[in-house]
Amino acid sequence: MLFNIISISLGAILINNFIFSQFLGCCPFLGCSNKTDTAFGMGVAVIFVMGMASAICWLIDTYILVPLGLAFLETLAFILIIAALVQLVEMFLKKSVPALYSALGIYLPLITTNCAVLGVVLLNVQNHYNFIESVVYGITGGIGFLLAIVLFASVRERVQFAEYPECFEGFPICLVSAALVALAFMGFSGMQIF
Amino acid sequence: MNIKKQFKEGLITNNPVLVQQIGMCATMAITTSLFNGLGMGLSVLIILTCCNVVVSMIRKIIPEEIRLAIFVVVIAGFVTIVDLLLQAFIPALSSALGVFIPLIVVNCIIIGRAEAFCQKNTVGASFFDGIFQGLGYTCVLLVMSIVREFLGKGTFGGGLIDVANGFHFTLDGSGAGIKIFSGEYGATILTMPFGGFLTLGVLIAVMQYALKKSAKKKELAAKAAEEEKEVEE
Amino acid sequence: MNKIFKLTVVLFLICAIVSAVLGAVNEVTKGPIEIRQREKTEKAYKAVLPYADAFTEVDPSRFSTYKATIDKISTADNGAGHVVETTFSGAQGSITMAVGVDSDGKCSGISIIKHSETSGLGEVAASSSERGVSFRKSFIGKDESITIGDIDAITGATITSKAVTGAVATAIEAVKALG
Repeated sequence: MLFNIISISLGAILINNFIFSQFLGCCPFLGCSNKTDTAFGMGVAVIFVMGMASAICWLIDTYILVPLGLAFLETLAFILIIAALVQLVEMFLKKSVPALYSALGIYLPLITTNCAVLGVVLLNVQNHYNFIESVVYGITGGIGFLLAIVLFASVRERVQFAEYPECFEGFPICLVSAALVALAFMGFSGMQIF
Repeated sequence: MNIKKQFKEGLITNNPVLVQQIGMCATMAITTSLFNGLGMGLSVLIILTCCNVVVSMIRKIIPEEIRLAIFVVVIAGFVTIVDLLLQAFIPALSSALGVFIPLIVVNCIIIGRAEAFCQKNTVGASFFDGIFQGLGYTCVLLVMSIVREFLGKGTFGGGLIDVANGFHFTLDGSGAGIKIFSGEYGATILTMPFGGFLTLGVLIAVMQYALKKSAKKKELAAKAAEEEKEVEE
Repeated sequence: MNKIFKLTVVLFLICAIVSAVLGAVNEVTKGPIEIRQREKTEKAYKAVLPYADAFTEVDPSRFSTYKATIDKISTADNGAGHVVETTFSGAQGSITMAVGVDSDGKCSGISIIKHSETSGLGEVAASSSERGVSFRKSFIGKDESITIGDIDAITGATITSKAVTGAVATAIEAVKALG
């Protein structure tokens, strides 16, 4: 069991990194990586929501949808749960942890349309993970996202001072640098765990 | 309304991926063969058109405060329908695209068009908007898949075309494609995540170059016309 | 309060309509999806054990204590051998594979059902390309002592090749352990 969890964690953080090998969560990844600080805030918010979403969606799927034979409603149910969850988290933080809210506040609504969150929940179902595995996969997937976005934000801060052809201005240069970071992450793909 | 203008917007000047820069996850993830690219593009086109029509139909009766929630429910509904139909009738496509079919729900293109266009426009205009925006998306996917497949594996039309027993289309994704050069000489890296980021980056750069050039041309032409006028005077 | 009540009702109604439509579509597609899945498994099984006709599943308790990677073992009714379904980790994630084991305890073919290997490298093992076919054919006739040296391993995909080899050996052992 412990080996299993370590293998899931390492897989989610490095080997099958959500962004660099599965392309989940690219929009916020490219949109919120201008500065290292904002990138970090976004990453932490994602870890939080991904962990919570994994837990709640697993419970609802296993104890409500599957027993009732409503597995075909999974996508619909999950996206509603995620949207509601993000709202709840936002309200909760605003009232009880204002410091954290002011740090994460603006990123929270964006997370609803982050495909990494819906992705992790769907992958939990597809891989037949149990409750603990799902939560671990959710949290470590978020950590992988955080790692990727912070690393990439630091790269981007440097790219600003680089010289490149005019037509690469803006998004293209960003994608090309992301490609190079992805190349670096490919080094993990050969890793064999247990 | 102006269909021609909408057509141009969807395909070129306001292309969802190249200009609006949304919906990129799937664009980079699944464009490794023509079969995947075409399948994903058409799925999005169908879902986008249906959602656009429904959203603009109900735009007057839904309360402002919960419109986003309603859009999401409608989109999730259509996505699930397409997902189920694909599983039943084109299982190869369903297994090739995997989790990216349900993920169309959070594809910014669809919710973006619902919010930005269909809320304010008639059913007809929204219908054409869905088709043209969907086509714009499909075209980008096709270009990406053709480039990545050709340079990466040396084939054209992988999964979709088979030439082993004469030229024919394979709808079960089993075709090996037309072999242009041996796969050993292909830049395999282009079919990996690295290639996804790189190809899209270069494609957008080319697009920006072309748009800028045509803008300059127009400017020059306008200037020339002005000068001519001055000369005439 | 009245407003919130109204919004809830509207949202609920829309959810109900969408769910009803989905339920109807699900009724229509349920049959075909099941048939497709059964066909797919049957096709994969016949491909790895060519002389078999119909299959009966072996009671899981007979091998569940043996190896955790074995999902399912089915016996061919005409005694042609067994098909083992096994899930193990490859280079990028888990691989699900069907292994045919003939009545002499030799591998009669393998077929990769599901995988997430690197495109162009490990993915070749499952692909319909010439290279993939010759990789899978090289397992035919081997027994549980198989090592990576015995097969036509894929260059650049040593981990995938090794993982598949190991899983084939385990599958044959599991069938022999059934007795």
